[in-house]
Amino acid sequence: MHEVGIAQGLLDIVIEKCKEGGYEGIESITVKIGKASGIMPDSLLFAFEALKIGTIAEKASLTIDEVPVSGFCNGCKNHFIVEEAYVISCPACGSMSLRIDTGRELNVEEMEVF
Amino acid sequence: MKVRVVTQILEANDRIAAENRKIFKNANVYVMNIMSAPGAGKTSLIERTIKELKGKLKVGVIEGDIAGTDDAQRIENLGIPVVQINTGGACHLDANMINEVIGDLPLKDLDLVIIENVGNLVCPAEFKVGEDMKVMLLSIAEGDDKPLKYPLMFQESSALILNKIDLLPYTNADLAKIRKDSLSLNPQLNIFEVSCKTGEGISAWTGWVRSLVK
Repeated sequence: MHEVGIAQGLLDIVIEKCKEGGYEGIESITVKIGKASGIMPDSLLFAFEALKIGTIAEKASLTIDEVPVSGFCNGCKNHFIVEEAYVISCPACGSMSLRIDTGRELNVEEMEVF
Repeated sequence: MKVRVVTQILEANDRIAAENRKIFKNANVYVMNIMSAPGAGKTSLIERTIKELKGKLKVGVIEGDIAGTDDAQRIENLGIPVVQINTGGACHLDANMINEVIGDLPLKDLDLVIIENVGNLVCPAEFKVGEDMKVMLLSIAEGDDKPLKYPLMFQESSALILNKIDLLPYTNADLAKIRKDSLSLNPQLNIFEVSCKTGEGISAWTGWVRSLVK
């Protein structure tokens, strides 16, 4: 629902980094978006395409790596990865005592500059 | 050329949230961020809370709405310092919006600041604003399926307030299911059942708030 703000945040980060390094422009950007982050990749791409115009990231493409929800079950001591955005009980044993390790990411990973 | 960036996109927000938190802490003010769907009763809960805490805690309020000042007016009528933020369309409050209005509250004279977030069950959970705790308000008329539909709100909150329990006879809401699903999402959740209309359950809630505010 707030993908525009997130797209602006990621552009601010890469543009600052690009200027800091003395580069001319940005060719591509890779972000990691967790499945439980509440961000829809399509909406993020749409907002990014609109907001990059007129910036040094104007020519940049955005690659979104989706990170699944994964964690560890304190009940059966197994690691798990699920398809859904949320996990309430262990897919193997049903225990609700879980540690969630991934799925909330909202990170800029790397960019290609020229 | 490839450049590693590895920066959290919300880092800028989190940094300002930490700044806000420091300002509140230095003034010895406890801050709670109240989140719910539109119409669940956030302003009514704040009114009830203020009345119940009168003479016990000095309260200030930050009101977040997309537009309008109706809520701030309701709080001002109680003689409480209040600041209205109009987000102008944004679906949540963020740390910067709070940072801009902190100076408008007489923090030195306050014990507790209540932030009323924009009515929305999705985005407010994502953004820290500098609060000590998030509080989720769910009115039972919204249905008992909400915890599993909007899990992040329940996971991020320290307390869940179930409002409008006076309407229980007229709804199909299953309180036991709400409790069970909410606690499975967040075993640390403190749950209160209240009616802001009749006042039922409010003193248990405000008693708990008092125990948190030093």
